[in-house]
Amino acid sequence: MSDNQSTGRRWPAWSSEWTLLIAVVVAVLATTAIDSNHSYLYRPLESLRDIARNTALLGIFALGAAVVIIAGGIDLSLGSMIAFSGMVCGTTMLALAPEQMMAAKPVGGWVVAAGIGMSLLSGLAVGTLHAWMVTSIRLPPFIATLATLVGLRSLARALCESTTAALTPSKSAQIYVSDPFFKMLRDNVWISVAVFAVLALVTWVLLTRTILGRHVHALGGNEDAARLAGIRTENVKWFAYCFSAMTAALAGVFYVANESVAAPVNQGRGHELNAIAAAVVGGCSLAGGVGTVPGTVLGTIFLRVVIDAVSKVIKTGADVYEGLIVGVVVVIAVTFGQVGQRAGSRRLLPGPLGLAAIPVLALFSGGTVAMTSGAMPGVAAGVVALGLLGGLRAWESRSAAAG
Amino acid sequence: MPEPVISMQGITKRFPGVVALDDVSLEVLPGELHAICGENGAGKSTLMKILSGVYQPDAGSMMLAGETVRFSSTREAERAGVAIIHQELALVDDLPVLANVFLGRERRNRLGLLDDRGMARETARLLETLECGVSPRVRTGSLRVGDQQLIEIAKALSLDARILVMDEPTSALTESESARLERVIASLLARGTTILYISHKMEEVFRLADRITVLRDGHTVRTLDKDETSPREITSLMVGREISDSSAMPPRAPAEPLLEVRDLHLPWPGHVRGYRLDNVSLTLRRGEVLGVAGLMGAGRTELLETIFGVSDPSWRGTISLHGRSVRFTHPSEACAAGIAMVTEDRKRLGLFPDFDVAANISLTALDRARRGGLISRRAEEALVAEPIRATGVKTPGPHAAITGLSGGNQQKCIIGRWLLTKPEVLLLDDPTRGIDVGAKAELYTLIDRLCREGLGVILTSSELPELLTLSDRVIVLAEGRLTAELSRSEATEQRIMEAATAG
Repeated sequence: MSDNQSTGRRWPAWSSEWTLLIAVVVAVLATTAIDSNHSYLYRPLESLRDIARNTALLGIFALGAAVVIIAGGIDLSLGSMIAFSGMVCGTTMLALAPEQMMAAKPVGGWVVAAGIGMSLLSGLAVGTLHAWMVTSIRLPPFIATLATLVGLRSLARALCESTTAALTPSKSAQIYVSDPFFKMLRDNVWISVAVFAVLALVTWVLLTRTILGRHVHALGGNEDAARLAGIRTENVKWFAYCFSAMTAALAGVFYVANESVAAPVNQGRGHELNAIAAAVVGGCSLAGGVGTVPGTVLGTIFLRVVIDAVSKVIKTGADVYEGLIVGVVVVIAVTFGQVGQRAGSRRLLPGPLGLAAIPVLALFSGGTVAMTSGAMPGVAAGVVALGLLGGLRAWESRSAAAG
Repeated sequence: MPEPVISMQGITKRFPGVVALDDVSLEVLPGELHAICGENGAGKSTLMKILSGVYQPDAGSMMLAGETVRFSSTREAERAGVAIIHQELALVDDLPVLANVFLGRERRNRLGLLDDRGMARETARLLETLECGVSPRVRTGSLRVGDQQLIEIAKALSLDARILVMDEPTSALTESESARLERVIASLLARGTTILYISHKMEEVFRLADRITVLRDGHTVRTLDKDETSPREITSLMVGREISDSSAMPPRAPAEPLLEVRDLHLPWPGHVRGYRLDNVSLTLRRGEVLGVAGLMGAGRTELLETIFGVSDPSWRGTISLHGRSVRFTHPSEACAAGIAMVTEDRKRLGLFPDFDVAANISLTALDRARRGGLISRRAEEALVAEPIRATGVKTPGPHAAITGLSGGNQQKCIIGRWLLTKPEVLLLDDPTRGIDVGAKAELYTLIDRLCREGLGVILTSSELPELLTLSDRVIVLAEGRLTAELSRSEATEQRIMEAATAG
């Protein structure tokens, strides 16, 4: 009760966005300097295009992930939804124009429109399914979307095999899509960037300036209070899960275009976690109620910039490290977000657990450097990490004793 | 005068942006019950959390029985014999009672496995001394708040605590549970335990305490012997001014019936009684406050929730508004029909901690905060200005954080939220729980004024004086049944308690 006053202090609403923006700039500048090819300097447009393509592709459904997270839920199924919607798109076009599809010829505008339309509808259907499981069956969102994470990919593969068996000479695990419209989507990066930008703008206005958006925040902030204030919380959830699944469906179309194939075995696999990571790095709280569109967009950009930076520095085989980078960025971003909010009163390396964490962290960082740059730099990095962490521990212990 | 068992000198504690305690001193004598009084935000809980090792002070010193101590955790404080029972109970709902009592200090048998039988025996023994008949093996979350509180006390006893801090222990208890707690306190004192006791309830403080320390705005105002002071003096020291006696409200003139409930029956599947409410009828007129009295579990909240369309829709009977039968299945329908409800648990069921003051209030009327289809900051500010003024919310501005306001001002925001829906019937479920004396008086004035402006109010409260002060009529529930309907002149604490325990 009497502590309310102390917790009521807030940081300026934009501070995490500014921090992220600065972090993006710093990452770009550092990469420009460290990268031995200096590709940001000599081939800026090409580099920008790479980052823009990846950012737009991830950002489209990161926005969906963010909306569900702000509404107090979670959507784990986005990666499978991408595969499923891509498959629905491919299947629809194969069913409507089998000869052209098999001969890799243009299928015609209305067939493409039908394919994309069906794919968005599949998002609507899956979102409705999620909302029904969460509100009517009362499954925890984690369980409901875990079920579709596993189920949708399998369903997409089954759909692929049965339609190809029925419509083409042989059963196949993928459907090639070579219509010029999809080639255009692939070759013209700025289309996906424009779609992402428009979607982000619409989502931003929706979340900050409409009643529905306010209700999304209210639902995530305090679901019981929202219902008792007369908000139809089940409808708000319905919207949130449909919005999320439809952004993944839209992203699915771009995935198909980029790879010229609807391949449900691997398309978008694991990418739901990247989207959730982008939202979290952007300041969305998994407890619900907190998060912004600018934050999510910047979180996505930051994640892609760091991934790109590492690939520029390492040169070959950088995709192996993508997951590691995402993991490290998420931990660091959330750690510093929390420390900022608690005015630095918390120690990072307290007690025996903190002591045990020091060699673990040193070992992981040294090992990573060893694998990318050779044994000696690895050992050096490990020793440096050990020294820095030990120093931090000593400093924290001393200031804790003094304070 | 004996040597003090606790001596805190010059305690200062800062939180970001706030000095919670500024040079506070406190001396507690061995074996006394020392009450700490003060409005919300005065620093009572912070001081007790420092004493029990939850927080560390930024300055000042603390002596226990003549020895200087410094606790960096509650565990250290417990070892020194200081235990705290928090206002919000800190029990693990899913564990059995015995596991909560011994949490963190589990006993093991010869094989190194948990000695559940020994811990259960010890827990049962402790609970017996506390007049608490629950089994050590039931799930803690299935117990009522009053019993859970005794579990916390049992935990403190098992620690052999010499000093026990109780932070508003009766705020969620029924009258009979409070009486039981008072007996427990008396036996603890008889055993020589020193008790520090935070409470808002003056009569309780004066019944129990030996000495009283008043805090205001993070400063010690004074420590007084109970026998040398009066509740009036304490409350005026707490707020720094005299409180007008709110029991002198002029009578109101109730008009035509607004809401009628006839033979309401709310089933309770799986419970021995079979119903939460049975055969309850009431009439609410325009411009009156209808008080609903009853012990915890009597069905007060359920009654309001059924009217508001929150509880399960399997109820029988009729509810009519302006003579038309209604049956709400969702709060939004009740809201559209002109009924508003301020819920019992403000933090859990009312507030949006991530929203600012304006957004917390405007939520029920966002369609009126739009310009060209989109919510406009200006329009929202204009919308909430009236309810902020009408309810007298003290806030630095419409965009201040709601969590920075005191409990009383938060409650005013929630009432303001509902005034925006222009209700005719206002359901208030224990609206002053956890609110300090000064803010209570303001809320009483507000409720009275709303009534005179033509609202009908149904009010529940766990404090009888409050019901007697505010109500034109009081109905009493006992175990889900209506046992009395008393007019203002008939209602006394004695008669209400008799009806509430009639069963």
